[in-house]
Amino acid sequence: MHEASIALNLIEAVEQRLESQPEARVAAIHVRVGELAGVSTEALDFAFQCLSVSTPLAGARLVFDVVPLTMACAACGRTSRVEDLVFRCPACGSENTRVSTGRELEVRTLELAEEPEVAHASD
Amino acid sequence: MHQIDVKAGLLEPNDAIARENRAFLAAHGIYAVDIMSAPGSGKTSLLEWMLPVFADRYRVVVVEGDIVGNADKERLDGFGVPVHQINTGAACHLDAHMVHPTLHRVAEEGAEVLLIENVGNLVCPAEFDLGEDDVVMLLSVTEGHDKPKKYPLMFRRAGLVAINKVDLLDRTNFDLPGAIAAVRDVHPGVAVLTTSCRTGEGIDDVIAWLEWRIAGKRAALQHADAGAAP
Repeated sequence: MHEASIALNLIEAVEQRLESQPEARVAAIHVRVGELAGVSTEALDFAFQCLSVSTPLAGARLVFDVVPLTMACAACGRTSRVEDLVFRCPACGSENTRVSTGRELEVRTLELAEEPEVAHASD
Repeated sequence: MHQIDVKAGLLEPNDAIARENRAFLAAHGIYAVDIMSAPGSGKTSLLEWMLPVFADRYRVVVVEGDIVGNADKERLDGFGVPVHQINTGAACHLDAHMVHPTLHRVAEEGAEVLLIENVGNLVCPAEFDLGEDDVVMLLSVTEGHDKPKKYPLMFRRAGLVAINKVDLLDRTNFDLPGAIAAVRDVHPGVAVLTTSCRTGEGIDDVIAWLEWRIAGKRAALQHADAGAAP
């Protein structure tokens, strides 16, 4: 359910970025979501569709780029994929690891609809 | 197709306020712990055990997070420490913004230790940093030993995991060694204790862990002060 508050942050972040170009029409929003971000992409998509209805972002698509979960080992320096949620270094067995990738939750880029003026004119 | 870079973290609005909260707590010398678990795991019962001990040793303030109502606050009101209720309305977790105004009241009350009981939920609270010093998490025997790998984020946030309701172990098929191993897979190095809020078993250990953390924060703040002095 916390996807609703994240969807609101997403809408705000995009609207802030487009403040200087209010005529822009957004076709797609690319979102990076780590495997361990704790966010369901389906729930976030649904929340976004519901909450963006009365905003300029209504109709924009969310495109998710899922980032794999990897850890970096402080003992041997190796970076490896986290398998079965075991955060122990598979190379040296050290428990001194930290998440390297997989916690991302961010808007990366926007795709603008082409020729927004034409779209307006046909309305 | 025209593309624009945004690069905006979607938890950043919360994280920014959490950083403010953390700085505020440090400036007022308050140690804050966020107690999280699924509903009914024993958070309020743990507080009922802890408060008589803590109220003797520290100026303690409690913040109760619930979606609606103040049933938990009423349970804790008799312990002679201030208890503040935060109702989240529809939200399934406390966030840094909700807690922020209460922190000022907590500081005015002269708190040294702030005990925050988060909304009972294994999923959402894990995403939202409040600015606390530590997260203590309860996993109760009745929930099952498979939870660490189902809710890894929460277990990774925790500094201490207390496996609660161990008085029920022989009535269930809960695999205690398996559960502890799973917690340590997901979060190597995390402290794991076993407790029963029915019998009081292990509560002393939770208190000892928290006192160690409180002493650690005090020492760190004193060193920071000494370093800042001319």
